[in-house]
Amino acid sequence: MSEAASRPPLIDCARAQLRVIGALVIREMHSRFGRRRFGYLALFAEPLLLAGTIALIHQTRSGGEGIRGNFEFFAIGYLLFFNFRGIVTRSSGTIPSSLQLLYHRQVTLPDVFYARHLIESVACTGVMAIFVFAAIAFGGDAPDSPMKMLAAMGLMFLLAQGFALMIGAATSEWHGIERGIHVLTYLSMPFSGLFFMVDWLPTWMQEIVIWVPMVHIFELLRDGQFGDRFRPVYDLSYVAAWILATHLIGLAGLRVARRRIGLE
Amino acid sequence: MAHPFTWWVLLPTAIVAAYFYLVAAPQYVSETRIVVRSRAEAPTVSLSGAISSAMGGGGGASSVESNSVREFLLSHDAVMRAQDRLDLVSIWQREEADFWARLAHSDPERLTKFYNSMVSAVFDSSTGLLTLRVRSFRPEDSKAIAETLLELSEGLVNGLSERAREDALRIAHAEVGIAERRVLAAREALTGFREREQDLDSAGTAAAAAQTIAALEATLTGARAELRERMAFMRADNPALLATHNRIEALERQIMAERTRRTQGNGTLAQQLASYERLVLEREFADRQLASATASLETARMDAQRQQLYVARVVAPNLAVYPLYPRKLISVGSVFLGLSVAFGIGWLLVASMRDHAA
Repeated sequence: MSEAASRPPLIDCARAQLRVIGALVIREMHSRFGRRRFGYLALFAEPLLLAGTIALIHQTRSGGEGIRGNFEFFAIGYLLFFNFRGIVTRSSGTIPSSLQLLYHRQVTLPDVFYARHLIESVACTGVMAIFVFAAIAFGGDAPDSPMKMLAAMGLMFLLAQGFALMIGAATSEWHGIERGIHVLTYLSMPFSGLFFMVDWLPTWMQEIVIWVPMVHIFELLRDGQFGDRFRPVYDLSYVAAWILATHLIGLAGLRVARRRIGLE
Repeated sequence: MAHPFTWWVLLPTAIVAAYFYLVAAPQYVSETRIVVRSRAEAPTVSLSGAISSAMGGGGGASSVESNSVREFLLSHDAVMRAQDRLDLVSIWQREEADFWARLAHSDPERLTKFYNSMVSAVFDSSTGLLTLRVRSFRPEDSKAIAETLLELSEGLVNGLSERAREDALRIAHAEVGIAERRVLAAREALTGFREREQDLDSAGTAAAAAQTIAALEATLTGARAELRERMAFMRADNPALLATHNRIEALERQIMAERTRRTQGNGTLAQQLASYERLVLEREFADRQLASATASLETARMDAQRQQLYVARVVAPNLAVYPLYPRKLISVGSVFLGLSVAFGIGWLLVASMRDHAA
């Protein structure tokens, strides 16, 4: 800490990082949706259409009772999973597609990841708000606690970001991992809590499923969505442990990866 | 020495370790295990029984009641009742308790919150056992609280059981009462009829009347035969023949009179018999209803006895010798690990911010 006085204060560095992330968000939007007038709408259209159709399919197929037959159960639940999937599946391509950006001194690898994750999460949160308001407009119930739903979305953002950082670092080290990522995220869907509430399962399945961090986030989301209509089972400190551990490994891995990329 | 790791991780860990190893008061655990059983030997064919067995509920142990007991044990109701009996506030504010672990406020809400941190009740649905763990700063306090909580839950289960039994028996009792009133009414009606008609047994009277008529007709037939016999060898104006004629006429009149008296007009035997038989039938129905109501009451009583719930103590509350809590090594270790991870992330974040310094 001897050179601390010569370095610029931390707050200026943080401002610089925020500016870089903001610029990266705009660049990412341009490269993904082009410069056409309504290009940005595609960002919202994709989760909107996917979640809407999947919820429709489930509603017509099962036609279940209680909150399970509810349109919002699958629509909003799928959005949460879409956030996770979108962040994690894109993570393996983040470093290769932004290699030339790294020639700028101020752009670091985590910034590129943060920018992408922010875009996904803002899109999913926006569509979630649309679904909530649409449900109220069509005569549904207002969510019990919107703050819990937003918190669930935020936790899912952080958890997915932790995984994405890890995967991004790992793919720069070992190519070929990205092939498995799509399969794994797709296979994780049945275990993610999207289709069930822990309370509905038999005891032995509950004990297994409770180890999956995403299940806790889904329970939090549905606690905010439906309130007292079922018994939620979640432990946010467990989710926090997952988030911290993945971020630690991911951020450290990115520092290692950066050195390797710099050598190339 | 001046490394930030020292300040952010090692120092807080040292403080936490100093608290746990030097300051923290030992906490003694008293553990008890109970099972809420129903007396039913055979598997019940009720819906809840089927569901609980499908969900892996233990045989004989009723999971619904066990969960009720668990919810009760963790509720403000249990706290207040235990407070009435035992004065929980002073137990958790003993002088040996350290400032951090002791109960700070004695209002019911925060007492309940503190209670929930010191008392745990876990229901294991595969064995049906309800495990109750109580922590306090003296072994005998823990045991006393556990005992009190057990007594409270026994009271709760007995209350539930009593209530269920009363519900089951009340309907059967009411049925028996209705049947009894009906029997009494039928018997009274019959007695009233007998007094009014001055006739103990209308059926017997009718039979007697029929016998009288039959006897008269037999005599009439005999008299007619005698008349024929005498007409064969007597002259028409023979006085003996005349006497037989007179007897036959008298008999015929008598038979006619008997029949008229029994069967025509008001208050005759026919009407009397009809109302008598109606009353007898009513009495028989009432008797049968009473018998079946009594039988179903008996069945209900047996069922209620079989379904009676009770708390069986599998493991009695123990008196701790060694304080299991606070868990020093685990607590200090998890603080160290958590701070290290947080520090690592913080360091990485700060480092990546520093990279932006032009």
